[in-house]
Amino acid sequence: MAASTRTIRVQYYALLREQAGRNEERLVTSAATPAELYAELSRRYPFSLAREQLKVAVNAEFADWSVALNDNDSIVFIPPVAGG
Amino acid sequence: MSAFRFSTTTIDVASLRDALADPAAGGYAAFEGWVRNHNDGQAVTRLEYEAFEALAAKEGERIVDEARRRFSVLSAACVHRVGRLEIGELAVWVGVSAHHRDEAFAACRYIIDEAKHRLPIWKKEHYVSGDSGWVNCERCAEHEPSPQPSPAGGRGSGASPQPSPAGGRGSEALPPLPSGERAGVRGVSPDYSRQIILDGIGPAGQAKLRASRVLVVGAGGLGAPVLSYLAGAGVGTIGIVDGDVLDASNLHRQPLYALADVGKPKAELAAARLHGLNPEINVRAYTQRLDADNASTLLSDYDLAIDCSDNFATKFLLNDACVLAGKAAIFASVYQYEGQLQVYRPDNDSACLRCLWPEATRDGIVANCAEAGVLGPVPGVLGSLQAIEALKLLLDLPGQLAGELLILDLTTYETRRIRAPRAEPCTRGACARITALKGPEDSIDGLEVSFASLDRARRAGYEIVDIREHREVAVEPMTGVPYTHIPMGSLLADPHALDPEHRYLLVCARGARSLAAALELRHQGVPRVYSLRGGIAGI
Repeated sequence: MAASTRTIRVQYYALLREQAGRNEERLVTSAATPAELYAELSRRYPFSLAREQLKVAVNAEFADWSVALNDNDSIVFIPPVAGG
Repeated sequence: MSAFRFSTTTIDVASLRDALADPAAGGYAAFEGWVRNHNDGQAVTRLEYEAFEALAAKEGERIVDEARRRFSVLSAACVHRVGRLEIGELAVWVGVSAHHRDEAFAACRYIIDEAKHRLPIWKKEHYVSGDSGWVNCERCAEHEPSPQPSPAGGRGSGASPQPSPAGGRGSEALPPLPSGERAGVRGVSPDYSRQIILDGIGPAGQAKLRASRVLVVGAGGLGAPVLSYLAGAGVGTIGIVDGDVLDASNLHRQPLYALADVGKPKAELAAARLHGLNPEINVRAYTQRLDADNASTLLSDYDLAIDCSDNFATKFLLNDACVLAGKAAIFASVYQYEGQLQVYRPDNDSACLRCLWPEATRDGIVANCAEAGVLGPVPGVLGSLQAIEALKLLLDLPGQLAGELLILDLTTYETRRIRAPRAEPCTRGACARITALKGPEDSIDGLEVSFASLDRARRAGYEIVDIREHREVAVEPMTGVPYTHIPMGSLLADPHALDPEHRYLLVCARGARSLAAALELRHQGVPRVYSLRGGIAGI
């Protein structure tokens, strides 16, 4: 594996799960931040939500979109939901 | 002097009355409750009152305060005896001074009714036979309404929220019970024994529940289990806020209701159902939507709010009202097969909704149950979790969800707990992001336009943009008119694809997403973007 790539576990919820067509995946990426990762995934899947409308958690903590991703990080993109 | 207090000695009415004197008062009304010599056909020789005083005194203060505010009276007070009393002695006194007699009578009546119902006070009757029995105090309430379904009054109108009487809570219409038993139906009483035996609950915990007041916003899929479990647990006062009427499509996830009830106000239906479930508790129905004008007033009568609503506007409004009032709130939301749960408490460092989502999410950005669909038991599970968190909080049990967002996927049973501490702009008791309650922040006036056909919109100078998803377009493409297709996500991610000099008409299936997208684009500086009212379905 090249030094500039990392293996990341991504989990999808709600609308994102639907649009990605999966609950989770493990992927090798050169994205350095959650923002870059979301941009990369947005090219692959028909995500309808802009990044500003989501929260991201890295290793079960809400995180800034610009934090550095590390190998084996677990990422969750969380859309707001309102159903009741 | 406190507006409510207990007394172990004879109540001195003259001095209490004098203390209410006010030059602005046009009248004074008082109620005196006396020890009578019979109850349920048994001759009574004397009795003893026992109160859970710490809780009862606080609750008593609240009742008097509510009466003062509700009826705008000048002064009000209530004194309740505890200990041993003889026949004919004064057991409870209520006094009110007011500008006019109507308010004085109404406030006086309110205080005694609520006191009888809400205060954890018991009386032990001593009978001629030599027997004695403990009686929950509300059983001796004198003039309470008999149980009956409430009229659908006050719906969707009025600035100050007025609860409809949600089925009476008195016991006078019921047949006499054996001594020592509480009010109930056909001799059957609510029985909390299965929870009282639990560690951490006991009689003191039950008394806490009895004195608790919980406001449930939304009587739908989340609300159904929340309301049922809280009523069953004996939470003393439950308010139900819901401005909707029952729709047949609600029933797969709202087992509180029956098909025959379709078209009736849900708050009323739920209140009647809860009354049947537990006649001991006080249930108030508010058949109106929570809005910026009524939120604070509604909340003022309750200690805890539970968000069971189905839209972002209500969730954020309730969040803001709770943060401003320093009250705890339990939020849940569902989407298809999954849900989220979050508990806000002013007294710890847990996040509120705005800590996570500083800009309130607009409705339309993410589909709700009606648009995205939901499996019936999903809100049932999340609502049950809300009920569990509510009981933990009210009973001060361990393991409360705090400073975390719980995400539960019911297809895989994957559970995530994501740490969610309070955001930086918040200090204890004050959030810099919330200063006042606001309605929907954006005016949609002029943003929505109606056309009989897309061709007419073209001729009126609009460029048409279909913002639906690819799969929707594949199933139902638009025909007969030139248009651009940009899915909503792509459009919002790159608003500069739109020329600010041009006029755009956004189109989706029903007009909700296009409206949300138009609002968002206006915020991002695109000046001439509009939404087709009713969407493709409307033309």
